[in-house]
Amino acid sequence: MPGAPVTVLQRVPLFADLSKREAQQIARLFKQRRFAEGETVVKEGSGGAAFFLIESGQAMVTVAGKKRGTLNPGDYFGEIALIDEGARMATITALSELACYGLTYWEFRPLVQENGAIGWKLMQSLAKKLRDAQQGD
Amino acid sequence: MKQIVPLDKARDDAIFGSKAVGLGDAARGGLPLPPGVALSGSIVEAVASGEERAIRTVAKSVRPLPRPLAVRSSAVDEDGADASFAGQHLTLLGVSSAEEVTEALREVWWSANSDSAITYRQRSGLFVRPSVGVVVQALLDPEVAGVMFTLNPISGADERLIEASWGLGEVVVAGRVIPDQFRIARSGEVVERKPGYKKLAVRTLPRGGTAEEELPPERVECLCLADDQLAELNRLADRCEQVYGSGRDIEWALAHGQLYLLQCRAVTRAGSSG
Repeated sequence: MPGAPVTVLQRVPLFADLSKREAQQIARLFKQRRFAEGETVVKEGSGGAAFFLIESGQAMVTVAGKKRGTLNPGDYFGEIALIDEGARMATITALSELACYGLTYWEFRPLVQENGAIGWKLMQSLAKKLRDAQQGD
Repeated sequence: MKQIVPLDKARDDAIFGSKAVGLGDAARGGLPLPPGVALSGSIVEAVASGEERAIRTVAKSVRPLPRPLAVRSSAVDEDGADASFAGQHLTLLGVSSAEEVTEALREVWWSANSDSAITYRQRSGLFVRPSVGVVVQALLDPEVAGVMFTLNPISGADERLIEASWGLGEVVVAGRVIPDQFRIARSGEVVERKPGYKKLAVRTLPRGGTAEEELPPERVECLCLADDQLAELNRLADRCEQVYGSGRDIEWALAHGQLYLLQCRAVTRAGSSG
């Protein structure tokens, strides 16, 4: 079956409340992408092309050169630049061989526009990130 | 509509991309190309999506090609985009198994959808959904390879300017050696032979991949092309100009005694007669 496995998708809070059929529809839009250990996955300041969901491996998040956290299987990143078409807000570096599923801007935008449940989950996720960022200041 | 065609059947930029159609023009014009096929943007996307049927179709189509292979991107979405995106879209050399071809197509697809490619698109006003075709060709293991301008792009003179080095031409294109430089008059007379400094060659490995090789001292400053080979390159320049028009930027390779055309583009750097 093409795309991301539904089981991987359903581990992501953003997609957790979707029906199995909705999750299957969305899973098909994802494409697999692998990164080598040490490879820069996204770079702070760059334009954003895709939203990524980690299938296996670990990645490090840095902002302005400072470590801000580690990402593990089931974590996702890259949605903010896709929403506002702005620059990436953090650098993500693969700490091990990293297998991701990516959803590009061209598929992500209609997906969110057409699916209120995903839109709502996304807002909750962004609100949490905002709180975390304010607490981190 | 066929999604995979032999190079001589690649005619539509909007389906196969400008590089594939350029090679199609060469094949139809009888120019010597390594054997290969053109893949449409649609089938590349289907393979990147993991669609089993598309993966099997591609594997079957590339099976007759001699290994290893070169997998080259061929942008399909805008006029002249392949030249503009030359630094963004990917070429993979030394691809061998069907699984590696699938992975290479996925990487090429992602190269057109990478952050750097999207940034470039945003800045250049080309912010539309990218589509990338692919050319899969037999990767030669050349004795000598390089580039040739059918008109001198530096002086603007009506002469061929050739840069050449040992092994794959990537070392010339990437500026990793100081290549030998030759100038040939349109009549075929060799005007200049200038030895370079070529400490390194990149070779194709039979089972896939490439390897760097340090060259023995006697080959570093030794000219890598003889006069009969220069005459053959001059004839290739003539034939390319007949097919494409004047002012061409050619990538070529000499393998097992035969000269091959790898790529032929319009010269993008204007010559100055200064």
